[in-house]
Amino acid sequence: MDVRAHISMVFHLDKCIGCHTCSVSCKNVWTDREGTEYMWWNNVETKPGTGYPIKWEDQENYNGGWELDKKGELKLKKADNKLESLLQLFYDPNMPGLDDYYEPWTYKYEDLFNAPLSDDQPTAIPISKITGEPIEINAGPNWDDDLGGSNLYAKNDPNLEGLSQEEKDLMMEVENISMMYLPRICNHCVNPSCVAACPSGALYKRGEDGIVLVNENKCRGWRACVVACPYKKMYYNWKTGKAEKCILCYPRLETGQPPSCFQSCVGRIRYLGVLLYDADQIPDAMKVPNHSLVESQRKIILDPYDPKIIEAAKANGISDEFIYAACNSPVYKYVVKWKLALPLHPEWRTSPMLFYVPPLLPVLGKVVNGLYDHSAREFFTSLDNARFSVRYLAKLFSAGNEEIVTYALKKMMAVRYFKRMQQLGDLDSGKVHEIMREADISEEEAEEIYKITTLATVGERFVLPPIQREEAMATKEPEVCKGCTGCGEIKEPTRGF
Amino acid sequence: MHDYFLFIGLPYVALFSIIVVTIYRFNSNRYGFSSLSSQFLEKKKLLWGSVPWHIGLFIIILGHGAAFFTPKLLQSLVANKTVMYILEIIGLTAALFALFGLIVLFVRRLRNSRIQAVTSNMDLVILTLLTVQIVLGILTATLYQWGSSWSPGIVGPYMHSIFTFNPDMSYVKELPFVIKAHIVIAWLIILLVPFTRLVHMFSLPITYIGRLPQVVVWSFRRQKEAVVIAETEDTTRRYFLKALIGITTGVVLLLIGIVDKIIPFFIGPALSREEKAKFLKGRLEKIKKAVKQKELEHERLINEFIHIADLKDLKNEEGLYFIDYKMKPGLAFKGEDGLPVLYSAKCTHLGCTIANKVKDGKLLCPCHISHFDIKTGNVIDGPALEPLPKINFLLKDVNDQVVVNIDKSKLNEYKVYIARSEEI
Repeated sequence: MDVRAHISMVFHLDKCIGCHTCSVSCKNVWTDREGTEYMWWNNVETKPGTGYPIKWEDQENYNGGWELDKKGELKLKKADNKLESLLQLFYDPNMPGLDDYYEPWTYKYEDLFNAPLSDDQPTAIPISKITGEPIEINAGPNWDDDLGGSNLYAKNDPNLEGLSQEEKDLMMEVENISMMYLPRICNHCVNPSCVAACPSGALYKRGEDGIVLVNENKCRGWRACVVACPYKKMYYNWKTGKAEKCILCYPRLETGQPPSCFQSCVGRIRYLGVLLYDADQIPDAMKVPNHSLVESQRKIILDPYDPKIIEAAKANGISDEFIYAACNSPVYKYVVKWKLALPLHPEWRTSPMLFYVPPLLPVLGKVVNGLYDHSAREFFTSLDNARFSVRYLAKLFSAGNEEIVTYALKKMMAVRYFKRMQQLGDLDSGKVHEIMREADISEEEAEEIYKITTLATVGERFVLPPIQREEAMATKEPEVCKGCTGCGEIKEPTRGF
Repeated sequence: MHDYFLFIGLPYVALFSIIVVTIYRFNSNRYGFSSLSSQFLEKKKLLWGSVPWHIGLFIIILGHGAAFFTPKLLQSLVANKTVMYILEIIGLTAALFALFGLIVLFVRRLRNSRIQAVTSNMDLVILTLLTVQIVLGILTATLYQWGSSWSPGIVGPYMHSIFTFNPDMSYVKELPFVIKAHIVIAWLIILLVPFTRLVHMFSLPITYIGRLPQVVVWSFRRQKEAVVIAETEDTTRRYFLKALIGITTGVVLLLIGIVDKIIPFFIGPALSREEKAKFLKGRLEKIKKAVKQKELEHERLINEFIHIADLKDLKNEEGLYFIDYKMKPGLAFKGEDGLPVLYSAKCTHLGCTIANKVKDGKLLCPCHISHFDIKTGNVIDGPALEPLPKINFLLKDVNDQVVVNIDKSKLNEYKVYIARSEEI
């Protein structure tokens, strides 16, 4: 057993209001440089929708992630062998281009001030941030936000494939049209395909906290990671010729602050905590059939309360603070204890460490004969009547295993029944308890879920172990850091000639 | 004089640059090492440019490398005509392939506004040089046939002389202009490598083949596996030291090479009496040779006719060398009719001197195995394209009178002359 610690995340989609505050705070901190204008390390998508880059979930086109070969072994989907991988250095047929994201633009504001006197009001035309030439804007990072142009975009959602016409109609019917938001950052996978694909060995997983990073001094811009990451969360900086990605704001983590997208989240949907996992089990856990992938990923996550595991963790150099943080981790509760949070697209076998609590989208009312009728018989209608079919959610979060999604949704519903009964008293106690039994949830658990979902404070949502710069330095010889601050001098990155 | 600079000075500057400057750049700005791919900005044309260019270039470099570093092996391979034809066809196809890709890349870089946003001046310089270089290479291959058989004999020894710090440009001095230009531009490109995006060739990720899929770096907790990610002052100091050692070693080696040549030049080598005598003898012979050459030149300047041989001394099977009015070697034979046959002995291919033995009615150029017909001078096979030029002669009898009507019975008395104007 090789116990390692991992800083992992839970996004509670039932609480996401799609405000993009996370995206904007990330952009302002990290990607406002030339060459990164098009990058959104954090972006929020509307589902159903095609997302950013367009149709990123369509791996027939982008060839991201892992797949099982004929012998049942894991292999990168992008190439059959490493030689083929190397031949793709010259030209990678599956790499998304700028037009698959969008061409970044600004407006020629000086025209507003410099325009000569005229009868017409001056306008600021859009110009490309790459070429500086006027462009016609026909794509953006959240072009189909809030189902904008949904008959053009949403119907191309790759997850809609295989849904019955009835289910699609239920989602797309104009009066009932429904959507959910999907905020996405790098998943900091346990089995990252980007790392496995990097020819230079520039991408790596930080041993202490599992953050996937790029060593920019080693990166040679071969672009294999951009293709290999199925979530398209690896970006190519066209100016410097280097790969860039979400760094989970590790400089903030190292000073005890949550990442900026977590900190700025208005809906407080984000949770951050430590998970202990067994690194020895990773390859085997990722070789199981699709429908049991979620379960096998949960299995590699270890119980931080188990004395044996604590012992093994300590033997492996994991500090007491990390183990303490793992015991208080909200992520452990959501993912393993309550089984509410699910990985996004586990079928790509990267074992993502960002988990999503699927949204409840029950039908509360319906337009009948032009009138809105919400006199439903019960407080919630059944899951079969949910506006998002379970099958759609299962395609997103459990590689098609509907049982897992149903289990999570039922549990969340049971919490609501329980709290409604407790606070308003208009529901029959016996019936509520039957629902709770069916959802495999006790009163204490329901109370706990309710508290962490609705009332959690910053300290409860982000349980951070101390990974501090001082500690990083203490392990080195003292004179190394003499006369410099932080990590020392780092040169300004400039493009090679 | 400029030959010295182009074929001896430039190569050392270029080698210094590609080794020392590249290492310096790598150590001082590792971030600047990148393939600088523009596939992200433009995809369609890149496929038709980058793929043929890189594949074609790879094959060509392999061929040149074989001529430079394993000339014997290549020569033994191309001794077989069929193998040589196959190699030549592969090489030429690869060159055309690469040229096509390069032109696509060049046009793409000039015409696409997105690509222009990431185009530097050095990109344009290096693209121009590479295009010229490939065109010159194709010209060399087509104008001066069968390079795979002759280039190992010329460029191989030349490169060997460069790398053993014993530069000898006699191999390349007499080459035609096109080939010389090809060599000079090659050195120029090598010189420019560390100043351009071409440094990405040193980043070829071969280690990927044997690497495990996952890379885990322990920054600070597991000290035994610790890898420092950020460049601290300590590591930059170490890089500086490394670079300093590298550059010093390079400079010292270079100085040793230069000093090794300069000191004997000025003060002469410390030699024993016998060695000195031998050395002097060698120089005397050199001077005698030069005197002889000047005498010959003088003779040709003042005389209208030069006596080559008596007709009775000429043979059918073995030619007699003589020097013609252009101070180039010629060969004299006795023809079947008993009259002399004179050819220029300068091979029409790359100017080697032709052997004087006739075998199966064929003359042989030993450099690149061109065969010429003894009767007509026409090329039978080999890389030469033009026939050997005939040199006209005239005969004089015992009384030094020019023979007008040849008397077959008196052939043995005649003397063979060449004349200043060869129109006689």
